[in-house]
Amino acid sequence: MKGVRAVYVLYLVMILFGIGYCTALGLLGR
Amino acid sequence: MRRFLFRNGLSLSFGALFVATLVGQAFAGVADFNDNRVANGLDPISLGRFVTSSNFGADVMENWQSEYLQFFLYIFATVWLIQLGSSESKEAHKRGTESDEEQKVGKYAQADSPAWVKAGGWRTTLYSRSLGFVMLALFLLTWTASAVAGWGAFNNEQLMSHEDPVTFVGYLVHADFWNRTLQNWQSEMLAVGSMAIFSVYLRQRGSPESKPVGTPHKDTGQTG
Repeated sequence: MKGVRAVYVLYLVMILFGIGYCTALGLLGR
Repeated sequence: MRRFLFRNGLSLSFGALFVATLVGQAFAGVADFNDNRVANGLDPISLGRFVTSSNFGADVMENWQSEYLQFFLYIFATVWLIQLGSSESKEAHKRGTESDEEQKVGKYAQADSPAWVKAGGWRTTLYSRSLGFVMLALFLLTWTASAVAGWGAFNNEQLMSHEDPVTFVGYLVHADFWNRTLQNWQSEMLAVGSMAIFSVYLRQRGSPESKPVGTPHKDTGQTG
């Protein structure tokens, strides 16, 4: 299950990065 | 490595497709964006500048938020609402949160149940709804991100056409925000409703999203 957990964490990191990145673009008014 | 890829084939394939289509969106997006700029007498921008623009961020987030809304609603709605004959629905007598025995919680927890199930109390209560709560949290976060990025993009367009920028609250009640939001919500609701009703009469051999091919239309639930 270690590999499965790694994919689970990868998805969470990818989603949270996307949210943070897009929010930052809006806040910076880019 | 091959074993890892095989065991996680579904998540990894969709993860790879996500990255590929996001790259496609960036290329198509910059081309479309530059068409508009040139038509307005402005210089085109580079791909790098486009993927670091609020316009790109808004386009990405407005689609993400509707997907998480769809899953959040579907996860909670399927606890209480049924669709006779659908593989997506429970049988009518199982409506609701079901018994501890059926859900393997409390004294029915097994030796290999997740730790928070065996812990009892608030941790079990919270864990029992964690899938829906995480989808709700991701919906709220992506919707907020879509509002913030959409606000930035909208104000850039306002400045490009020599109009006044709007405040964030002003953007939240602006037609642009609700047009971006609702055009995505409507498609998700239609897709979910279609899946619920189509799976009554149609089959996909071998898919866990479908009832077994020979199962009668009136049988409800995954097992048919």
